[in-house]
Amino acid sequence: MSAPPATRGTVIVEESVRVHHLLDRDSVLGPVLLAPLMIYLAALVGVPLVTVFVYAFSDATTGSESFSFVGLETFQRTLADPVFQGAIRNTIVFTVLSQIIVIVLATILGFVMSADFKGKWIVRFLILLPWTTPVALSALAWLWMLDSLFSPFNWILGQLHAVPIGTPVAWLGENNLAVGSVVALQAWRTMPLAAVILMAGLTSIPPELNEQAEVDGAGFWRRLFDITFPLLAPIMMVAILFGIVATFTDMAAVYILTHGGPGNATQVLASWSFYTGIQGGSLAQGAAIGVFMFPVLVGVCILMLRRASGVEVT
Amino acid sequence: MKGSLNAGKPRDPSGGEGLLARSVTRRDFVKKGGLLAFSAGALPTILLACGNGTSGGHKTLKILQWSHFVPAYDKWFDPWAKAWGDKNNTTVTVDHINYADIPTRTAAEINAGSGHDLILWIVPPSQYEPSVADMSDVVKAVEAKYGPQLDFARLTNFNPHTNHYFGFTYSFAPDPGDYRKSLFEKAGLPNGPTSWDDMLRATTAIKSTTKGAVRGGIGFSPEPDSNMAARALIWSFGGSEQDKDQNVTINSDQVVAAVDYMARLFKQAETSEVFSWNAASNNQGLVAGSLSYILNSISAYRTAQKTKPEVANDIFFSKPLQGAAGVKALASEHVIQTYIIPKFSKSQDTAKQFLLYLADHATDYVQNSELYELPVNPNTNAAAQLPGWLDNDPFKSNPTNKLQILKDATTWSVNVGYPGPASPAIGEIFDTNVLPTMMAAAAKGDKTPKQAVADAETQIKAIFTKWRQKGLVGGTT
Repeated sequence: MSAPPATRGTVIVEESVRVHHLLDRDSVLGPVLLAPLMIYLAALVGVPLVTVFVYAFSDATTGSESFSFVGLETFQRTLADPVFQGAIRNTIVFTVLSQIIVIVLATILGFVMSADFKGKWIVRFLILLPWTTPVALSALAWLWMLDSLFSPFNWILGQLHAVPIGTPVAWLGENNLAVGSVVALQAWRTMPLAAVILMAGLTSIPPELNEQAEVDGAGFWRRLFDITFPLLAPIMMVAILFGIVATFTDMAAVYILTHGGPGNATQVLASWSFYTGIQGGSLAQGAAIGVFMFPVLVGVCILMLRRASGVEVT
Repeated sequence: MKGSLNAGKPRDPSGGEGLLARSVTRRDFVKKGGLLAFSAGALPTILLACGNGTSGGHKTLKILQWSHFVPAYDKWFDPWAKAWGDKNNTTVTVDHINYADIPTRTAAEINAGSGHDLILWIVPPSQYEPSVADMSDVVKAVEAKYGPQLDFARLTNFNPHTNHYFGFTYSFAPDPGDYRKSLFEKAGLPNGPTSWDDMLRATTAIKSTTKGAVRGGIGFSPEPDSNMAARALIWSFGGSEQDKDQNVTINSDQVVAAVDYMARLFKQAETSEVFSWNAASNNQGLVAGSLSYILNSISAYRTAQKTKPEVANDIFFSKPLQGAAGVKALASEHVIQTYIIPKFSKSQDTAKQFLLYLADHATDYVQNSELYELPVNPNTNAAAQLPGWLDNDPFKSNPTNKLQILKDATTWSVNVGYPGPASPAIGEIFDTNVLPTMMAAAAKGDKTPKQAVADAETQIKAIFTKWRQKGLVGGTT
């Protein structure tokens, strides 16, 4: 009659020992430790990615759970859409322009942040601030700064008599100004990361190289172009690649700042995909638009991985 | 390498009273982490299972709707709905989000097969027809009590092509012209404009005399108000996106004339700000004193009453403006309140009971929206009081009869997609801003009016073709 509790206790101990034994083997423990990450990646990256491709070859809508496969029809319709064509152009232009600005300014900031001066921690903090702000929040702040009625820029210009008071500059209403505003926001938010990467690159350059060159009579510019930039180039590439991914795939800046306007002058692939697929209900076409970002991102990822393996410490 | 995170430290022989009190082995970490992850993953499912439909005879009703433009409405609605729940053994939850997030949230819930039992849209939700419950019983029951739905309401919640009521429309907000009386008086129109030509002349003169400080306020932006304005103008010039049988009719001389008018309006009376607006911009411009005329509901005016009474006293309303000779002047409904019940809802009957209760309380929703919302059935319990309220605004208009022009708003308001129904195709044209973009292209001089209309037609026809293939839209061309 007293046997059952003793048996249960023995079984629990034996199972515990077996589990302990299993988890002590690296061949088991390694995959177990990696499993959460793999599940996370599969669930939040893999499944959506596959779903996008499935939808892109279908006639799926937001209002229906069922859909049929329609081959390349959705892609043909997407390619014929003039707004889509403009969105491709804008996405590339915004990415290239913002990253040119980022790399020039981030290099300067990298020098500033790696220099030794009083109050450099405050400077570093201020430079990093945009990076810590969620893009939606920062875009809203920019929206108010560029608002046609309440823009502080317009108020300052009015006070300086650069424009008549009460006749605002339409920062988001003129094509060129709107494009400039979106590019400026993208550059502003991706610059801190690039600056930190470049600062790390600058501090990793052995100071002896510059000191030796200085002794040999090389001036600042000569050292900059012949020593610093060549050694900084690989890490600069990493900064650019991160910036490209962040800018190419972002829709928040356009969605909040311009809604793709004026006209469709600032429409980008991500925003047009959202407007068509979610707001407009044509999930398939929205997915097809998103798929066009894929080749660029794959290319950038390959470059990033190659770069990463190139600097791997062995 | 084997070992613990606190390698070298002795293990707590007692087994430990807390995680921080003992060393954590990799094994423990994996086991506890796994348990924690499982619990975190399973918790929402357990909660959801507990919260759905009925439990022991007690019912639940989850409502999702926009944060109303008139905040007093939400203050009334939430406790009112909960009080109904208390009387009907139902726990009612009301969630409010920005109106612009309703489409995204609805799409997410429909695709997840889980979420709210009632979702309120302020634009026609036609694209969700395949995934929402049939509402014909609710519409018919309300019509039996309060008279047939107005045409524009029926064309908002009914698809004549599939013969299906996919929503329940119970109220709308009219979209009159809002103008600054003192400015229009100086421009020779003390009672405001009655035609689009009047409006163009007056706003041009006002812009000129104020040296650009006060401008016209018709938007050309990718946002709802610009969409409404573009449609009102097109209808008043005799054009439309589609005919009543859902054939595309955008490429017509009437629409080209309307686009040409808008280009002139921009050049003479407005500035590039109109290309960058969101839905609140024209309200803000009117209240700030920067705009002389906008198309909007009375919400901008109600805001001004509270924040800038002197401006509110100067804001007056006009009926839809006359366009081409012999064409009836029309305005789009500004918002049209339509509830849908997703098929996944386990509280469909409860939701329908609630909607019938809402329809019985027209007086309440009209009054608590400060006359922003008007019923779409002619004989509701608000019918007796509404004309008196519009003659003598209980919310302290000065003069008190300022809202009188809304008394016949049901005769000049039409649905998005008029003269046809508000189909998924019309919804996508609206949501992808095809018409304001067409107007903007001509206004900026990027395209001639004719070219802008032809390009819009290409886009619109592609959208119609796509939805016809899904069997949700009629017509052939």
